[in-house]
Amino acid sequence: MVDYLISIIIFLPITAGLLTYPISKASKRGARLFALAVALIELCLGLYAYSDILSKGTGAQYNFVEGPVAWIPGFKGIDYYVGIDGLSGPLVLISALLTVLVIVSSKDLISKNQGAYYSLALLFEGFMMGAYTSLNMVLFYVFWDIVLLPMFFLIGIWGGPRRKYAAIKFLLFTFTAGVFILLAFISIYILVPGNTFNIPELVGKIPLTLQPLLALLFFIGFGIKLPAVPFHSWLPDAQVEAPAPISVLLAGLFKTGSYGFIRFSLVLLPNASAEFGWAYIAFGIVTMFYGAIVAMRQKDIKKMIALTSISHMGFVLVGAFSGTVAGISGAIFEMFTHAASIGVMFMLSGYLYELRGTNDIAVIKGLKFTSPRFATLLVLGSMAAMGIPLFSSFLAKYLVILGAIQVNLIYAVIVIIPVIIVAYLLWMIRRTIMTQPESTAKHHDIGTIPTLALMIYFIPLIATLVVPWLLLGMTDPLAEALVKMLPAR
Amino acid sequence: MDIPIILTGTLAGSALLLPALDIAIGTKTNRTFSAYFTSFVMAISLALVLLSATSVIPLGESAAPKLLQNDFMGLVFAIIVLSVALMVSLSSIDYMRDEPNTSIYYSLLLFTSLGMILLSFAADLLMVFVAWELMGIPTFILVGYRKKDPNSNEAAVKFFLLGALSTGVLLYGISILFGLTGSTNLAAVAAELSTLDASMMPMLAFGVILAIAGLGLKLSIVPFHMWIPDAYEGAPTTVSTLLSAGTKKAGFVAAIRILAVAFPLLKLDLTMALAVIALATMTLGNLAALTQKSMTRLLAYSSIAQAGYMMIGLAVLPSNLGLTGLLYHSFNHALMQGVAFLAAAMISSRFSKASLEPYEGLSRSMPLTSFSLTIALLGLAGMPPLSGFWSKFILFTAAVDGNLTWLAFAGLLNSALSLGYYGLIVKRMYVDEPSSTQKVHEPVGFALLLLAASMVVIITGIYPAPIYDLTQKAVLAFVP
Repeated sequence: MVDYLISIIIFLPITAGLLTYPISKASKRGARLFALAVALIELCLGLYAYSDILSKGTGAQYNFVEGPVAWIPGFKGIDYYVGIDGLSGPLVLISALLTVLVIVSSKDLISKNQGAYYSLALLFEGFMMGAYTSLNMVLFYVFWDIVLLPMFFLIGIWGGPRRKYAAIKFLLFTFTAGVFILLAFISIYILVPGNTFNIPELVGKIPLTLQPLLALLFFIGFGIKLPAVPFHSWLPDAQVEAPAPISVLLAGLFKTGSYGFIRFSLVLLPNASAEFGWAYIAFGIVTMFYGAIVAMRQKDIKKMIALTSISHMGFVLVGAFSGTVAGISGAIFEMFTHAASIGVMFMLSGYLYELRGTNDIAVIKGLKFTSPRFATLLVLGSMAAMGIPLFSSFLAKYLVILGAIQVNLIYAVIVIIPVIIVAYLLWMIRRTIMTQPESTAKHHDIGTIPTLALMIYFIPLIATLVVPWLLLGMTDPLAEALVKMLPAR
Repeated sequence: MDIPIILTGTLAGSALLLPALDIAIGTKTNRTFSAYFTSFVMAISLALVLLSATSVIPLGESAAPKLLQNDFMGLVFAIIVLSVALMVSLSSIDYMRDEPNTSIYYSLLLFTSLGMILLSFAADLLMVFVAWELMGIPTFILVGYRKKDPNSNEAAVKFFLLGALSTGVLLYGISILFGLTGSTNLAAVAAELSTLDASMMPMLAFGVILAIAGLGLKLSIVPFHMWIPDAYEGAPTTVSTLLSAGTKKAGFVAAIRILAVAFPLLKLDLTMALAVIALATMTLGNLAALTQKSMTRLLAYSSIAQAGYMMIGLAVLPSNLGLTGLLYHSFNHALMQGVAFLAAAMISSRFSKASLEPYEGLSRSMPLTSFSLTIALLGLAGMPPLSGFWSKFILFTAAVDGNLTWLAFAGLLNSALSLGYYGLIVKRMYVDEPSSTQKVHEPVGFALLLLAASMVVIITGIYPAPIYDLTQKAVLAFVP
């Protein structure tokens, strides 16, 4: 079975997703439990793969490799070729975990047409796994693009009042991102000797003259997905209109953007990445500041989280292109902690809407008195999003800042970002939690199972702070290997 | 086995016999006899061609080798046009149920199919011309089939006038080629042209350009596209399906056969001209489709845009990869555009309106049709891993390979642009609420036909190797 571990990780949720809808016709509860069971199996598989790589310390190479097997034998280079390394391992694990939690919480937050909903959520998970583990560019593109469809329907059917607009905008923006990526892939195939789409065979082969143009194509394509300012405008709409559990999954979707930056821009184009590192870092810094500053004046808590999320993505860009071990490790670390911390915040915003019927910060008052459990979780979640040393999001940001400073002291300006985030999240907490409730407000809190499910988000955040090796053991070998590939500064 | 001759006998025989048989056998109570008979003939022909393509039945020498050439290129296009013809005749069972004189309709359908088959295998310029007319003339009548409907009449007249013009232009081109070489057989023309005096080169270019312009009308390439939206909208939608998915493909095979002979010899840069036509065709088609309010017009413009992608294959012509992509995309486009048009036909006949309004919330009242239409539209947009993605991918790869990276980029941007309207239809079906509470019945047979075709789109997308291999085989056999 271990021989086909990754294929199982990819195709188990896809097959299950196709089965969930017919099952829901017989029993809605059955479909939910089925989806949950599949997600749990998936999590176990992810944990197995992760712990195996971690214990062997082989994060720098591809593990559990399958293939290459020709997909279209007549067309050389299109192969089924998958594997996990120190970059995809943490992402596979956190995506599997988030899917389980999303399915648990969806019971309370999603009411209509549950069968189709779980079906799409599982399909989404499978396609994401495919994108993370593909070692062939065409295979990657197929998964990277098809993943938009379940998300389009999830936003469009279960979303908020402006869902129609948000869904189509999401689809058009992210599909357009693929245009640039596919052109880059085809150019690599034709112009690099060897005619192959396999990433491992292309490392170090791309001619210097070709790299800047490809870097630009990758920057636009992955920048839209990340999303980096100025390509970000689809994101707040999609995030705000998506129902809370879907926002959590959607936060996972931009990781395919940051993943692409590291897997393709950094690994395949080391010279261009070193030469134009300053440009990536500049965009990263602009993205960070834009996200944080615009978040500051949001009235809607969900929009505030969405913009915080954009700001966090800036850290990934800065870290990855700092070209230092600490920076690259920090970037992957940031992707991991972002998934958990932003995920829990989105989920909380969903519960808040259930409790109060609104996400407007100015209207919500006195959560401390009416919903103590929820208020506690919101404080913890905010702390995770701020990067306070109780959680490993602190460590991720610290590593990125460390990496950036090693390159140039000017980049130290990014230490301001966590300060801004702390400022507005604290202000949000002061207004929603630390105030007196309206006299008519009754005690109304979230149930035990949702509370426990929400607590689980903090486990990876605390575990990786207490024992950073759990994550750095995966990412450091990879980061060291990458830094060796980059030309000397 | 001599496929073209057998098919000629079968199709011509059934086309001639059908009206008589209908009078003898069909009764007033059983008006669907012709439909089932035609579908049966198409299915048998398609089965024969498929068996031959998978080498179960060996493809022998033609009995008339100077006129018809039994090759895989012809087989691939025969599969395409017969699949479309089969889909059209099956869907007409429901769509044309209340029309008079259906035996004539089906007879004309058989004649058109015969023309398309002959065109697929034609090895002689005169055969190309005869097949062209055999394919064209029945479609003029089919477009005007609803003789009391002014739109249908207008469409037929427009189509006929431009069709007659294009025939004239094509014939002029053929006559110049004949004048230069003294032969109409394509192989002989090629042999003669290789020794052609350089001073005659402008004449050859003129002849080829005229031939392409003549064919261009059916290919729906810019600037010969003006008739398309009106004709497709006015004609019964099943006939529009035939025009868009069927006769257009037959036009492409003729263009491939003529250009493949002339292209290597032409000293002037036809690549750039064809690339610009490809760019103009896809961009204009997509931009115009974005603003359409009627589904048939939208699909008509989308069909123009798709012809633009296929033109990439002609622009990079000496390249085998481009030709493979063209064949592959012809197959995919026929299937997907067929599903889209037929779904539109069914929906507009159920709601008695051709606008986009009935699509709102359609997934609830017509789940199977909505699903099939979604697959077809996303496939047309090039969403992986549907089959439309692969053929576009190969075309774009061929463009980059042929130093036309800008064309590949334009094609990719056009794909994203096309999602603007394809995606909006999908959004209407799944995201929007129904605007009326009108109860509609989803005809099961029709919906299952669409579902089966869309399943082919999905399956050949996930496992594209067989069709890719077949098209590659056709190209390698054709280009020595």
